Amino acid sequence: MSRYDWLLFLHVTGAFLVIGGAVMAGVFNFSALRSERPSEVVLFFRFARLAVAAVGVGMVLTLGFGLWLVHDVGYGWGETWIVLALVLWVLSNALGGIGGSREKKVRELAERLTAEGDVPSPELSARLRDPVWLAVSWGSGIVVIAILALMIWKPGA
Amino acid sequence: MLALVRPDSWNFPLFLHVLGAALLVGATGATVVIAIRAPTLRRLLVRTIGFLVLPAWVLMRFAGQWIDSREDIPGDPGWLGVGFIVGDAGLVLLVITALIAWWGLRRPERRWPVKAVAVISGLYLIALFVAMWAMTTKPD
Repeated sequence: MSRYDWLLFLHVTGAFLVIGGAVMAGVFNFSALRSERPSEVVLFFRFARLAVAAVGVGMVLTLGFGLWLVHDVGYGWGETWIVLALVLWVLSNALGGIGGSREKKVRELAERLTAEGDVPSPELSARLRDPVWLAVSWGSGIVVIAILALMIWKPGA
Repeated sequence: MLALVRPDSWNFPLFLHVLGAALLVGATGATVVIAIRAPTLRRLLVRTIGFLVLPAWVLMRFAGQWIDSREDIPGDPGWLGVGFIVGDAGLVLLVITALIAWWGLRRPERRWPVKAVAVISGLYLIALFVAMWAMTTKPD
């Protein structure tokens, strides 16, 4: 196998970790949303942290091997699809970071409520259904899919 | 270097194929995590397989067939064979997994169904990455 093959494989592996991890996070966040007891919310948010770890590793792989591929193949650094992909990569990370910090606060509330008797809480329910948090979390996933589309169509290449 | 000279008409089916495969990886990963870390959540396990894993497989497989019909690949290369094996044998495994998970939901006192789901899904996840390696690097 050529160096190009290995670089592409590692780059695509990163993309699969990102999208796969985002799907896993979506499953667990959706499950937390449907949970009533705080202990269940804590459980699902702990699972979501595994998914976020996969996304983090994937983000590093996609960027690192993606930049290497650009250099190796000889694409221009100013090509539309490369610039857009980098901008969206930063945007996706920013949205993921904002969503993650909100999720941490909700998890801490759920942990406190679990310790206090594990009784369903309207406050926890409202925080889980916060439209801003939901928009940021799902928006991050949509941006990742947009990056995938850019990688396939390569506009401006 | 095929990706560098790909006709535009291949892009949409390829996008759907890759998206389906990535969704399948994530859904299968979620199945493994639930089966190992939360074996009592059997309804969630069945729903994850039924509403996410199987639809993702359908998207991956049918989009794969679509792009295969466009590419008209000569001969019978090994990398394509790996993709077909993991894809088609995968459906059998996934259907068996779904049935076992459903059986486990009906028989909550039995532990083996969830363990079986964890093992089969874990093996299939590894197979998906092997297929991804073959489809990406296209070894002879």
